[in-house]
Amino acid sequence: MQMAPKETLGILQQIEALVSDKLQVVSYKWLSREFLVPSNAAKQLLHEFVETHGSAIEVIYTLSGWLKRNPSSYHVKLVSAPKLEEAKKEFDGNCSVQVYSVQACIPKDPGELWNAEFVQAEELFKQPAKDDNCLRNSRFCGILNSFVKRTVDGTDISAAASHPKGVEVSEPPKSNSTRQSITVPPPMPVKLPQRGLSVSPKSTNVINDVKTESTEEPASEPPAEKLKVTHDSTANKTKGQIVKDFVNGGSLANLWGRASAKSKPSTKAAEDNKLSSNSTEKGSSGDEAQDIKFKGASNGKGSKKRRVVFDYSDDECEDPVNLASPDLPKELSNQSFVSEKEDRAKLKGKESTEGSSNQLWGKDSSAVSNIADPKTSSEKIHGQMTGDARKDIITVPTAGSPKRRKVLNTRIDERGREVTEVVWEGEDAATNKDDRSTVKSGNNEEASTIKHSAPATKKSPAVGNTTLANPGGKAGNKKGGHKDPKQGNILSFFKKV
Amino acid sequence: MLELRLVQGSLLKKVLDAIKDLVNDANFDCSSSGFSLQAMDSSHVALVALLLRAEGFELYRCDRNISMGMNLGNMAKMLRCAGNDDIITIKADDGSDTVTFMFESPTQDKISDFEMKLMDIDSEHLGIPDAEYQAIVRMPSAEFAKICKDLATIGDTVVISVTKEGVKFSTRGDTASANVVLRQNTTVDKPEDATVIEMTEPVSLTFALRYMNSFTKATPLSGTVTISLSSELPVVVEYKVAEMGYIRFYLAPKIEEDEDETKPEV
Repeated sequence: MQMAPKETLGILQQIEALVSDKLQVVSYKWLSREFLVPSNAAKQLLHEFVETHGSAIEVIYTLSGWLKRNPSSYHVKLVSAPKLEEAKKEFDGNCSVQVYSVQACIPKDPGELWNAEFVQAEELFKQPAKDDNCLRNSRFCGILNSFVKRTVDGTDISAAASHPKGVEVSEPPKSNSTRQSITVPPPMPVKLPQRGLSVSPKSTNVINDVKTESTEEPASEPPAEKLKVTHDSTANKTKGQIVKDFVNGGSLANLWGRASAKSKPSTKAAEDNKLSSNSTEKGSSGDEAQDIKFKGASNGKGSKKRRVVFDYSDDECEDPVNLASPDLPKELSNQSFVSEKEDRAKLKGKESTEGSSNQLWGKDSSAVSNIADPKTSSEKIHGQMTGDARKDIITVPTAGSPKRRKVLNTRIDERGREVTEVVWEGEDAATNKDDRSTVKSGNNEEASTIKHSAPATKKSPAVGNTTLANPGGKAGNKKGGHKDPKQGNILSFFKKV
Repeated sequence: MLELRLVQGSLLKKVLDAIKDLVNDANFDCSSSGFSLQAMDSSHVALVALLLRAEGFELYRCDRNISMGMNLGNMAKMLRCAGNDDIITIKADDGSDTVTFMFESPTQDKISDFEMKLMDIDSEHLGIPDAEYQAIVRMPSAEFAKICKDLATIGDTVVISVTKEGVKFSTRGDTASANVVLRQNTTVDKPEDATVIEMTEPVSLTFALRYMNSFTKATPLSGTVTISLSSELPVVVEYKVAEMGYIRFYLAPKIEEDEDETKPEV
């Protein structure tokens, strides 16, 4: 369990970098999987980290023990450092106090606490089944006793469900394909291990405890726990199902809660969602918003299938690249664009403009009309653009001049997808090329973009590019982060002092 | 107490104009040795390091090290109020959250005070190791600016290749490609017109022209620019600030995964 000091030091430094630079929540679980150290060692590391950097960071502690109140129940609670002492008083006698996670600040949304973990777990799950990763064999799990049995062939974990000791010393293995219990360090009975979750998927009493009682600090932690329990019993479920379970558990707000934190991106995202997939199921709008805002942040990496890349920050070009839901039904290729009448479109578009940013698309037609009506959509986009970009957009409505009409245009693009475009066809052939609304739909992937053109094509904010690739690696992304995957980062050359 | 009196006030104006587009907010660090700044652009691709040595100021009083966070855009606006021949004095009291810029006209008949609020900026100070560069090109700064500007009309990136023959700037766009080759040329009337290439081994790196063009905003500061290249290292584009210091721009190269795409044919 003890690591060489040098190695430890390296990890501590990395923790510091993660916490202070990437603003990531570093929990012991994440740490354990990331650096392939036993979970108890990970906790020890975090503890050391807190001792050295305690003043500069925020710490979340895990308290576990028996509550004073009657009937006494075993309780696991996450508390922030300032509330630690107070929380300790609620426990009967000794309770174990361990560092759960360190972070730059206590996240407003408790869901962030396990966001990084979740992403990481997802990635581990995604690995081919034959790969024996640390999540599958729980090799870093700190729990080992007679009640914990990790069976080999994908069957449920069996344990003494109702035994209180079992509760104390058990942590559900994340998966149960194989086991390597030999490598797992034995738990210390007094210093209770991380979470007192019951091993048995059936024994919900403890879970309930967690759910109902530990709501004070991390409201979203219980769902997380629940999710993990779900993993136990549904180890062979696909991940999608698990995620779905999770979503149905009502914690969408936690999962994607940051969507509403800032209105701008979420509006944009909601709109884009509308535009791209006027059928995606409820709640998906926040997803993209999160991706926009946290692109490159802890939860962005590979966890979501959809992704929207925006660059609001620059004044020159705005290139929304929008890869919409892979699950999108194909029949929603907006077959009815052409038949849409201008006035109707306007009417509908207005409706949708008035709607809140979280509005979901009940009506396909209004989504279509929103695309179709340049005025409305430009207004909406206009609302989200900044600075001089705005001025340019105001000119966009000229695109809606009655002399032009929309034409449905279907073609197969270079990636073999069927692309349906709504093109503005007008007397001005030159603008025609740029001035179009594009709706792509294709095999398992629908991308949609609005091209707003108008005279000021270059500066038009929503100049879309429906391909995945960043258009030409345009160097216009100074502030937009790493749009260009080939662009190196100065931080990879110079170290912080 | 901090008091820095710079007779050639226009230098400070030019310095600000050179960096304000790259960096929004930055900490100016004052120590007994000089007035410095180090900041990355928001995408962490480029880094600017400014040093104005204490000896360059007519009066340099810095009782203790102080870091002053400023919005460079606002600071540039203030400095724009100074005449080109004005003497600029920067003053800050201990514990104060403002900085004062005082502009004196050369004839001392007009004195203006501009006070600006300081900001708290989390700065990430990077250690920049001293490195031996494989190639160092010194050339007229205006020439470099023109090359970058010209190439930017064609492509987004520039490949800078230094060989025995000279330094080549090449780009390729959708419709055109371009190469500019400069040979070493030291037989010039004025030393700043010379193009000098020191090379230990050939090097070729790709950079985003957008940043290069941002760096060339420092052209008014100096007649020459020094470009130091090493594979595996960011390029350094250095402009001297009179005799008192420098602005160095560091730019991370683009990683060339697919040489055919980014590199024009040689």
